[in-house]
Amino acid sequence: MGVNAEQLAEDLKGIVGEDHVHTDLFERANYADTSLPYDVEEGDLPDCVVQPADAHEISEVLKYANQHKIPVTTYGSGTSLIFGTKPKHHGISMSTERLTSLEINEEHQWLECGAGIKTGQVIKELGKLGYFLPIQTQIGSSMGGAVSINTLGHLTDNMFGRPVNHVLGLEVVLPTGEIIETGSKCIRRAAGWDLARIFVGAEGILGVITTVRMVLIPMPQTVDAVGFFKKVEEIGHMVGMMYREKFPLPMDGEFVGEKACKVGYEALNLDFPEGALAITRSMGRTKEDASRNAQEMVRLFKKAGATEAFVLDDPEVAEKVWRVRENAMRWGQEKGLKGYLAIEVNPVLPQLAEAMTELTHITEGRNDLIGETEAYLYGHVGSDSLHCLFAFPYTWSNEKMKQVVDEIWNLEKELMLKYNGVGGDWGWLPHRVPFFREKYGETAYGVIKKLKQLFDPNDILNRGNLEGEV
Amino acid sequence: MEEVQFEEDFEKYLNEGLISCEKCHFCHTVCPIVDTRITQGPFGINRAIYYGLKWNELNEELRDLVYSCTTCGKCVAMCKKVSRALPLVEIFEKAREYFLVEKMLGPMPEQVGVLKNMHVRGNPWGNPSHERTKWAEGLEVPFASKDNQVDVLYFVGCASSYDAQGQKIAKNLTRIFKTAGVNFGILENETCSGHEAKRMGETGLFAYLSEANVEMFKDAGIQHIVTGDPHSFYSFTHEYPQQGNGLKVQHYSQFLNELIEKGNLKLSRKVNKRVTYHDPCYLGRHSEIFEEPRDLIQRIPGITLVEMENARADSDCCGMGGGRMWMEPPQGLISSQAIAERRVHQALATGAEILLTACPFCNITLNDAVKSLEKEETIKVMDITELISMSL
Repeated sequence: MGVNAEQLAEDLKGIVGEDHVHTDLFERANYADTSLPYDVEEGDLPDCVVQPADAHEISEVLKYANQHKIPVTTYGSGTSLIFGTKPKHHGISMSTERLTSLEINEEHQWLECGAGIKTGQVIKELGKLGYFLPIQTQIGSSMGGAVSINTLGHLTDNMFGRPVNHVLGLEVVLPTGEIIETGSKCIRRAAGWDLARIFVGAEGILGVITTVRMVLIPMPQTVDAVGFFKKVEEIGHMVGMMYREKFPLPMDGEFVGEKACKVGYEALNLDFPEGALAITRSMGRTKEDASRNAQEMVRLFKKAGATEAFVLDDPEVAEKVWRVRENAMRWGQEKGLKGYLAIEVNPVLPQLAEAMTELTHITEGRNDLIGETEAYLYGHVGSDSLHCLFAFPYTWSNEKMKQVVDEIWNLEKELMLKYNGVGGDWGWLPHRVPFFREKYGETAYGVIKKLKQLFDPNDILNRGNLEGEV
Repeated sequence: MEEVQFEEDFEKYLNEGLISCEKCHFCHTVCPIVDTRITQGPFGINRAIYYGLKWNELNEELRDLVYSCTTCGKCVAMCKKVSRALPLVEIFEKAREYFLVEKMLGPMPEQVGVLKNMHVRGNPWGNPSHERTKWAEGLEVPFASKDNQVDVLYFVGCASSYDAQGQKIAKNLTRIFKTAGVNFGILENETCSGHEAKRMGETGLFAYLSEANVEMFKDAGIQHIVTGDPHSFYSFTHEYPQQGNGLKVQHYSQFLNELIEKGNLKLSRKVNKRVTYHDPCYLGRHSEIFEEPRDLIQRIPGITLVEMENARADSDCCGMGGGRMWMEPPQGLISSQAIAERRVHQALATGAEILLTACPFCNITLNDAVKSLEKEETIKVMDITELISMSL
């Protein structure tokens, strides 16, 4: 049933106020756009964008949408790499950007924030008081989005646990408009049923998280180390060795493959040894502890065959090394290839080096469009997340881009199945639904469908994501 | 035929820039004009232009977004650091030029008269051009000319010529130059540097004004320019046709440090004040002059300099750059006043008694913000020259 967009906007203005309902073309286009390389179509935009101020207004919007069976797609900050924020059935794009409250309560040892606040802001405010946010996504992502995906980022996952391990409680608005609270303000999390755990990682299909309460974690002291390797596979072997030989795990670690290093060094004018690089951030309660652990990483790098490895005492050198990694998604552009799509593969540890080899040569000898792309390998040391960025000319038509995206996603699915991975950074919905169904089967998929039906009988919230529509 | 080519070139340039965005949203986290709407930030403006061109929807809504940018450059610094190093400000300025020159959509309605004033009277406020040097009456400031060659041309700029607050900078600098024995002069017919015209997309007017100024520099045999206006400074050093042709251009913070180092200028009086310094965007981020103003401040005996949360390359914008001094942001877009008030809150958090800056625009804007917050009793806004003058 079609929606009368004008009436919809008028009705929503009655809930959230005139300034917080947008029907202009550019605002709607921006809320529909994603980091996909091809454009959003003018006919695929939401009918309006709405920005409620709090859980109460979100509740009223959802009650209204339920009554009229209008799809509502939630939007935190639009940094999703699985494209969950793109509306698939027009309707309402509902932003949580105005939910930016933040309370850091040292006496109770928790932080409580609105879902729309950016992780970078929370990291900054926690840092002032000597605390650490165990969510290391990019700084523009929203707290609500990160918790909805249960994403953390990288090796920090192995060291600190995921958001689900740190969330003390949530405020959630159900698709039918009811507001519920989970957890408590006690730092002890519930044994047994804890409803928060249903919403953390549900990727927004069961409810809209409006407030997040997390336990405070003291900021560790850190020291970085770098290792240069002839071949990226040596880094893969090094990771296995790190676990088997019980080296002190760093809290963060990254690697960059040979090709990305080469372009990166050239672009940044760096005189680093040829090959691949690994960089780690060791932690400790004191700087001395962290430094000792970083020295251990240097020992590990050398043992694994690094041509050069050292502790990054010089901040200037450290910044250069990190920039090679931070800018890895740009290196295709340095060669004039501005279209791109990245994948994520998480091999089981014994197959990490093998997967690295396969991804290093992934475009070779192919007759499909992937064969026409340039692939750059980089990722996270120790958390077994391999990213491969496929870069191609932006002058390709939208149809050609859609085709290459399909090919790349299919490749990601095949590699994940082959190497027994799960997709540790970005979540599942919508584009990894085929992978989920193939890996876990229709019964498991059906369980999630039933849960969705239970929470959202009219299927208004993020409609199409669970069906794998992109 | 040429016009078609011109338009095609514009669109090609814009498309090249616009399509390169990685859509990482990092720029959004540092943009001063972001309130809640995506289109208020660099990413959103970028995509709006892209879809506007693609769908041929070039209209006033899009114009309002494109002209809302302060051109502070914080997004560019962020993009350079972690993403694809897009020249976002340059892209937006090109889009403004495209809207103004090609589509007759720009500038913002309030800016039309401002550009006309720049053209006809050589200043954005439309003040009589013969009153440009009125601030210098009784100060015995010589006019630089072919017949009166000077070592240093003091380029005053529009704000310091006409605005009462800006004039303080001109008067203080004059006193400082005289105390240091500098052989300096001003141009009798100085005209607007055109910097803000370029920001508003009126590149033709910018070319006209820059040529007029350059011609005057040549006629008066000028080899060395010192200015207190970072906007003019940026245009002279980065955008004027003569840049790099041997003409030495300095912001006063550079020049005064040199005078002190040579022993020509002595700061002897103690000024026991706790101060903080606001980096003007076109002096700091755009021209990468961060340390000279700080060095100068710290040469004043008795001064305690404390930094705000966001300083140097991370400094926040005062909100008035990019032509926003002369426009009312359309409904729903954040006001310059709100941006300036945020900056004043950062200054207040340092406990400083004085908020220093080195730009007449920032001075005006931050002063207004202090007044609107009713904090005049807590913190004063001053140009560094005022403090230097107190220390002579």
